[in-house]
Amino acid sequence: MSRKIGPILCCVAALAFVATVSGATASIAGEPDFPEHQRSHWAFQPVAEPDMPASSTAHPIDAFVLARLRGEGIRPAARADRTTLIRRATFDLHGLPPTPAEVQAFVEDASPDAFAKVVDRLLASPRYGERWARHWLDLARYAESEGFKSDETRPNAWRYRDYVIESLNSDKPYDRFVQEQIAGDELWPNDPQARIATGFNRHYADESNAAILMQRRQEVLLDITDTVGSVFLGLTYSCAKCHDHKFDPILQSDYYRLQAFFTNVATDDEIHLLTERQRAERELQQSKWEEATAEIRSQMDALLEAKRADAFETQVNRRSPETRDAFRKNAGNRSMYERLLFQQHMWQMRYHNDAKLANSLPDADKQRYRELEAELAEFDHLKPAPLPVGMGIRELGPEAPATHVLSFANYAAPLEEVEPGYLTLLDPGPAAYAPALDGRSSGRRTALAGWLTGADNPLTARVMANRLWHYHFGQGIVRTPSDFGLMGERPTHPELLDWLALEFRRSGWSIKQMHRLIMNSQTYQQSSEFRQAASDEDPLNRLLWRFPPQRLEGEVIRDSMLAVAGRLNHRVGGPSVFPELPMGASQPRGGWDVPESQHAQDRRSVYVFVRRNSRYPMLESFDMPDTHESCARRSLTTTAPQALALLNSEHTLGWAQGLAGRILDAAGADRDRQIREGFRLAYSRQPDGWEKDTVLTFFETQRGIIAERAAAGEPLLLPDVLPAGMSQQEAAAVVDFAHMLLNSNEFVFGN
Amino acid sequence: MSQRASVSMAARSRRAFLSQASGGLGALALAAVQAQHGHAARDPLAPRDPHHAPRAKSVIWCFMEGGPSHMDTFDPKPALEKYAGQPMPESYGRPLTAMPGTAHNTLMPSQRKWAQHGESGLWVSDWYPHVAEHVDDLAVIRSCTADGLNHVGSVCQMNTGSILAGRPSMGAWVTYGLGSANRNLPTYVILNDEVRINGASKNWSAGFLPAAYQGTLFKQEGAPILNLETPDAIGGRQQRGKLDLLAALNRHHKQKHPHESELDARLQSYELAFRMQAHAPEAVDLAQESEATKELYGMGEEHTAMYGRNLLLARRLVERGVRFVQAYCGGWDAHRKIEENHTKWCGVSDKPIAGLLADLKSRGMLDETLVIWGGEFGRTPFNEEGDGRDHNPWGFTIWMAGGGVKGGQAIGTTDELGLRAEESPYHVHDIHATILHLLGLDHLSLTYLHNGRSERATVNGGKLIEQALA
Repeated sequence: MSRKIGPILCCVAALAFVATVSGATASIAGEPDFPEHQRSHWAFQPVAEPDMPASSTAHPIDAFVLARLRGEGIRPAARADRTTLIRRATFDLHGLPPTPAEVQAFVEDASPDAFAKVVDRLLASPRYGERWARHWLDLARYAESEGFKSDETRPNAWRYRDYVIESLNSDKPYDRFVQEQIAGDELWPNDPQARIATGFNRHYADESNAAILMQRRQEVLLDITDTVGSVFLGLTYSCAKCHDHKFDPILQSDYYRLQAFFTNVATDDEIHLLTERQRAERELQQSKWEEATAEIRSQMDALLEAKRADAFETQVNRRSPETRDAFRKNAGNRSMYERLLFQQHMWQMRYHNDAKLANSLPDADKQRYRELEAELAEFDHLKPAPLPVGMGIRELGPEAPATHVLSFANYAAPLEEVEPGYLTLLDPGPAAYAPALDGRSSGRRTALAGWLTGADNPLTARVMANRLWHYHFGQGIVRTPSDFGLMGERPTHPELLDWLALEFRRSGWSIKQMHRLIMNSQTYQQSSEFRQAASDEDPLNRLLWRFPPQRLEGEVIRDSMLAVAGRLNHRVGGPSVFPELPMGASQPRGGWDVPESQHAQDRRSVYVFVRRNSRYPMLESFDMPDTHESCARRSLTTTAPQALALLNSEHTLGWAQGLAGRILDAAGADRDRQIREGFRLAYSRQPDGWEKDTVLTFFETQRGIIAERAAAGEPLLLPDVLPAGMSQQEAAAVVDFAHMLLNSNEFVFGN
Repeated sequence: MSQRASVSMAARSRRAFLSQASGGLGALALAAVQAQHGHAARDPLAPRDPHHAPRAKSVIWCFMEGGPSHMDTFDPKPALEKYAGQPMPESYGRPLTAMPGTAHNTLMPSQRKWAQHGESGLWVSDWYPHVAEHVDDLAVIRSCTADGLNHVGSVCQMNTGSILAGRPSMGAWVTYGLGSANRNLPTYVILNDEVRINGASKNWSAGFLPAAYQGTLFKQEGAPILNLETPDAIGGRQQRGKLDLLAALNRHHKQKHPHESELDARLQSYELAFRMQAHAPEAVDLAQESEATKELYGMGEEHTAMYGRNLLLARRLVERGVRFVQAYCGGWDAHRKIEENHTKWCGVSDKPIAGLLADLKSRGMLDETLVIWGGEFGRTPFNEEGDGRDHNPWGFTIWMAGGGVKGGQAIGTTDELGLRAEESPYHVHDIHATILHLLGLDHLSLTYLHNGRSERATVNGGKLIEQALA
């Protein structure tokens, strides 16, 4: 029934029909009556140990995949050659091409576990976390600015990015990874990393200039609910915010039951990151500075005191009566709404700082103030470094405000009140939770984290195992990685998915173990070669009769170009970097502060600042997702602006100069060797005869053109390294060759 | 099977059905699934058939950013004279305003002089004397409503249907629905004046559609598109030599992978880029226009030069097949000193817009070009700071002219004060449904499956503004 009807119902015109036929009896108290096709949907069934298909093959993944292929009469592909394999694995785990030495070592390694060793080596490198963190950041709608009009910078958001990288590199168990992101502040309040992890629910776009604060708050809660439902559970909860889900057993009340876990959250943008000892040291240092400067500061305070009070009063008095009340209360006594008022207005008032106020002092006082400022500065050497802080979420007390089902998700149209709870289909009662011991939190999210990672949850392990498969193969076992519902696709290999989910748990939720498992299968190591007969049977390669070739992602393209150019700056972690924008690009609102040093700009793409309203143009053109919502699956488009960016931007030309420099450094004036070196660095292989001849001819004609241009006094683009005695036109032709290697299909496609 | 068929509307409406099946699919199904998933078939800009015969081929949207006052331009409110200096009658309530408490302020009549124009006798204030000459072509929709109170949300909604960023803009939906009519130029172009646009690129974002559908902001100087120009250190001949090498290497590589259609698509993208390098500069080369034409758009006068240039550019672009052009103007956020502010921006936009209408008409292009005027909302009848007006999303005016629009009429009304839409209110979704309709697209059928929902440009709403259709 569902297979036939469900899909047709996606048409808008049929919605009315669905509402009467397929939905559970609306979100009223009592036992909802979910129809059979919802209750029996595969994703809600317990993960079951599948029967292993009878097969001679040793690897369970291959057994499952081969069983399906045999069923359709399709042979799997042969094993890919070694060069292809090491390139595939290195792009996959590092987002970079292998070095020629790495390729050679693998090609020459005759041991039976040669590839397994490559996988282990790649997983042990910090490059691995930098690559795979980007996948998670897509899901987390990670950005470092607020969005909306002003798109202000969130100065410490990057610590969450580093948290993800470090978690992956240290193979943090996935259950712990989930728990930290949902409730790290409640579960491990003394672990700064666990508190930074709560940044997952802090990456919403936020309107600092909102006129209606309750609406602003509700929009944030909607975003959190949508994202949590989508990322951890693989369900389209967001469809149920206005009405019961049209297809899945997600009641409208379930949406708000999930939201109720978060109704008490507040931003926590000053998570202290020092250890006890560092903190004590810092306090000691701070007190030294305070002691030494007490007299100066008290004089400065005295000069400004009246101004400060005035400015504050003026600012507060300009605001509405309710805002004024909020300001006059102690932090602990403010209601939830007053907290919102205070937060927003305080934020708007921040620019009234001392330095500005001093400008409005009478001249004599102003001069005195400036003198004192200078005196104070002389003690800067005593001052400890600014306190490092992270941003995330927390709660401000154990009592949470009521959560209501909202009519059409409208904050001003509350319906019945709900308690925190899970999918009614799986667990109809309210969630059991207890306030955190320190009395600072409701404990709601601890309960949610426990349920998400509990042994009975049928979704969490399946969803993540499928995501890992999706990122390895470019397609999941379920091709809609964030929609395991009735409108999502069915798993092509349901038993394999269950087996992977169980293995994932049995391995202690080890993501690295999953990589090993998948990559050491024949299925992963098979060639990507096309075969007509197989394609006739399975044109979309759903059954994996070959490895699916595909274009590299924008970040991988940029990083790989930097790498083969010999310019990639491997510095790990820290604040994000602003690489230069293409010539003529407008300056993003919120700022784009390009460092002077080229080397500082040439860091991996995962460290490129993510401004929500203005993604870095090259990455955006190569389908880096919008950060306004979670992205489980990127588009992979091919467009003319991409070609223009790789062809004409100063960046790629610079990288071509770098690659040409490396070529000439190794090959000198020997053209055969130049070509061999170029192919080795860019493609990890030797050119064939046709390629060599073609490039040699190109060198000839191109040098002629360049010589004419040089004679006419036109500028030339020269390599980073110019060997002694080489003419400029000869060197410029090598830059052109290098540039076209970087632009070529072989460079930007993985297979 | 051809690319064209692979993305036809028929295929699209069946896509979700087909994507569920797991075997025995026909070729049509496959290509449709591939197109949806962006993993195989791949010319996202291939031309596509509309749902019905289009009335307009292109849109030029004169976006008056900041929110122009309807009661000082196209929606006269004589009753404001009567209430001048008094607060709104209690019966109007006190809407929550962008600036706290302004709804308690006194009502402020328009200081404009009003006259009826054309055969239709539509009212236009003396702020728009040149546009007034074209009233018989305008369908003035006086009963528009929107949801947002502040600029960034409202500009975003006027473009994407939602006050929250992240959804595709109208231009992106149109590009997705119709593909490109001239592969040598972007299909969706944004032209800006010197005022920064609130929310910037979010307003021409492809949202959850593939990035290929997003708008292209033209640069004001030099080549209009980023990375369009061959760098000086390379030059044209040297570049051609490089491209020939690239094509040779790519073709050789393709021989080893003859069935990977994506490799061809990428090869073609370079040829297309090369053609764009030739055509885009030609499209923006206003030296090809006569002095009389430039004068028509007001390019000879300082205050109208920039907007006139942009609208002339817009005409040249739609002439060359660009489907969706937005030309932003202003600056209209007159919380105070509305006389000063609107005198300026009406002055900036009046002659260029009138010039555009006249020019399109004389070239026979007005019938196939939909011209839209309006901001993200209107302004309030009560004053702010004595001489300004606050934001008004509850009732405001936009007008449409040209392709498929019945001119010379006012549609809908606001209440006596101009605060709220009264007769035939039309929400932003309705405006969007109507724009799509005129371009040959049915807003209920133009869908994209995203996170389990068949998303559409009009979100959950949208009805045609029937009265506006010719």
